[in-house]
Amino acid sequence: MGTRHIVCFGNELHGDDGFGTRIYAELRRLTWPEDVEVFNAGIAGLNALRFLEDCSQAILVDALANFGNVGEVCLLRPEDLADRPEQLTGHGLGIPYLLEALKVIREPLPDILIVGVEIAALKLFSPGLSDKTEQAVAKTVQLIRGLLSE
Amino acid sequence: MTRRTIQIDLNRVEGDLDFQLELEDNKIVDARCIGSLYRGFEQILVSRKPKDSLVITPRICGICGTAQLNAAVLALEHIGQIPVPPTAIRIRNLCLMAETVQSDLRQSFMFFTADFCHSKYIHRPFYEKARTAFLPFKGWVHRGALEHSRHVVEIIALFGGQWPHSSYMLPGGVTTPANSRHIIDSLSILNKLTRWFEQTIIGTDLDAWLAMQSADEFFTWLTAKDAHADSAIGLFTLMSRDIGLQHVGFGTPHMISYGAYDDPDDAGTFPPHRKHLFRAGFLNGDTGDIEPFEQAEITEHVRYSWFQPYQGGRHPFQGQTIPDYQPHSDRYTWCKAPRYQNKVVQTGPLADALIDGEPLIRSLYQAEGGNAWLRQFARLHRTARLLHKMRETLHELAAQPNEPHMISPDEKEIPDGEGFGLVTAARGALGHWVQITDGVISRYQVVTPTAWNASPKDSEGRHGHWESSLIGLTVEDPDDPVEIGHIIRSHDPCLVCTVHLLDTGKRITVWP
Repeated sequence: MGTRHIVCFGNELHGDDGFGTRIYAELRRLTWPEDVEVFNAGIAGLNALRFLEDCSQAILVDALANFGNVGEVCLLRPEDLADRPEQLTGHGLGIPYLLEALKVIREPLPDILIVGVEIAALKLFSPGLSDKTEQAVAKTVQLIRGLLSE
Repeated sequence: MTRRTIQIDLNRVEGDLDFQLELEDNKIVDARCIGSLYRGFEQILVSRKPKDSLVITPRICGICGTAQLNAAVLALEHIGQIPVPPTAIRIRNLCLMAETVQSDLRQSFMFFTADFCHSKYIHRPFYEKARTAFLPFKGWVHRGALEHSRHVVEIIALFGGQWPHSSYMLPGGVTTPANSRHIIDSLSILNKLTRWFEQTIIGTDLDAWLAMQSADEFFTWLTAKDAHADSAIGLFTLMSRDIGLQHVGFGTPHMISYGAYDDPDDAGTFPPHRKHLFRAGFLNGDTGDIEPFEQAEITEHVRYSWFQPYQGGRHPFQGQTIPDYQPHSDRYTWCKAPRYQNKVVQTGPLADALIDGEPLIRSLYQAEGGNAWLRQFARLHRTARLLHKMRETLHELAAQPNEPHMISPDEKEIPDGEGFGLVTAARGALGHWVQITDGVISRYQVVTPTAWNASPKDSEGRHGHWESSLIGLTVEDPDDPVEIGHIIRSHDPCLVCTVHLLDTGKRITVWP
C-alpha cells in the first residue's frame, strides 16, 4: 500500500480562509498510522503539486464557497469541481487549478477526496475563524479520521 | 463622445492587480494601477538583528525568494565589507538563474500565451494552432511548461535545502558546498530542461539560437523551416505580430538594470563595486545612450500612495514607509513611485538585455522599439542565455571541487552602518537598502521590480510605466479588453511583491 497524504490549504490571515490551516493544526496533534502524512500547503499554489506525488490517496482540505449552507462540512470528489474551476477558494490558483495541473504531470492520479466547510465570506486580514466555521472543525477532523481508518 | 470607467482584474497568480481605466470613445485616456495590499515587511524588520533579514525577506515573494535573499545578503556584506569566495558566488548565481528560468517559462507559457486562445481570435488563421499549443492544461506547450518548469528549482533545493523561501546565503558565502553529487544532479535537471527547451520552445539547438545577432537573421530563421515557425517561440511571435503587439505597449523609453549575477572572477571586490556577468546601466530614452548606473539617483515618491505624505522623492536611505490609508482622496495605491534621475523608468528582461548590449534584442529594439512583443520575446531569449550560463557555471564548479564555499566573517555580528544589495530578479531590478544602529536594523527599504513598473503617478503627476504603456491604446470591446491583458502580461506582473485587489465598482476579468 502506498502512502496517504492529507494536504491542508488556506490563509490564516484571512478569516475563514484559514480553515484548512486550522484543521492542519488539529490533525498534527493526533497520532496517525505510519503511512499517513499531514501537510500544510498554505497558499503554495502550484508548488503544492509536490504534496500530491508519491501517494496513493490524498485528502485535500480547504474552505468552500457555494457548496452548501454556511458551516456545513462537505465531502467532494474532483469531478464535483469540474464545472466551477475557480470558485472553490479565494486563492488565484486553487484546488481546481492544482488538480488540472496534476493530471498533466501524473498518471495514474491518486484517489482524491476534498473535505471542506462552506464559509460565509473571506475577511481580509482578520485572523480567526467565524463561529460557524469554528464549530465545523471537530466534525471535519472526525470525518478525516473516519476516511483514513478504512 | 462617450466616457466610461472600467476596472480590470488581471493577475492569474494571486489575483492582486487592478487597473482603473478611463475610456473616451474606446481610447484609454487615463490609467490607474491599483495596489491595495500593504505588506509591512519593512516595518517587520525594524529593531531586529541584521541577519534576521535572511530569514524574513525571502518570504516577501513565493516566486522570487532567492532574489530577495541574495539582495539581503549583499546588503549585509556591503555594510560589513565581508569577502565571499568565488564558489559561493557561483552557487548563488546558479540558484538565482534557476529561479528566473522557472518564472520566465511559467509567465510565458502558462499565462501570456493563453490569451491567444481567447474567443476574440476565433476567426484568426492562427486560432486552432493557438489552442493546440497554448490552451491551459490541453495545449502541448502549456503542458510541457507545467511539467518541465517545476523541476529546475530543485537545483535550489539541492544547494539551499528548500525552495521557496530558502535562507542558505549567509554573509561570507553559502551553507552548502558544491559537491560532485549536487553538480551531477543539477546537470541532470538542466540537461532535461534544455532538451525540452530546444525541441519545444526554440525548435533548434541552443548554440544556434544564441548565435543569432540581428533582426534580419531572426526573421529569416523564423521562416526557414516549419520547425522554427511551429516552435513555441515561433508560434508566439507569429501570433503576437498577427494581432499587432509589435505596435503597442511601449511605456516609458527610460530603462534601468542593476546588472545581473556577480562576477565570481571579481570576488575580491566588495559590493557594490563588484562586476556583473550582465552589465548594469541606465538607458536614457531621450538620448538613446546607456549611462553608468548610480543607485544614489533613486528616489521614491508617495504623492499618490497610501503612505504618510512627504515632499518630492526620497532616496531609500531616507525612505519612509508609514501606512496612511486614505480611500476617499486622490491617492490610489499601496505602491510607491520609484524614479531614477527623477525619470519614470521600466525594468525587466528587455531593459537588462538592451543595457547589457545583447545584439539580437538590441537589433529588434532598433527596428521597432520596446513594444509588448519584444518585451515578452526578450524574456524567452533570456531563458536561452541562462540555460547556457547555468551549464557554464556548473562546469566551473566541477572544475574546482575543493574550493571553499564560505569565508567566515571575522566579526560575528554585522557592524553598525548602512549598505545596499542590488540584484536582477526575474522581473527586473530589485534592491534592499539597510541601516543598522546599535546592533539592530533601524531602517529597511525594499524597492521591487514591480514597484518600478507598476508605480503610480509621482509628485509631478507623471504616470508610472504600466499606466503610460496603456494610455492612448484603443480597446475594441471595453467589456472584454483582451488587448490590455497582452500588454500588462508582457510586463510579467508579480503583485505578490506589491499589491492586492481593491473591491470597488465594476470588475471585468480578462481571462477566462
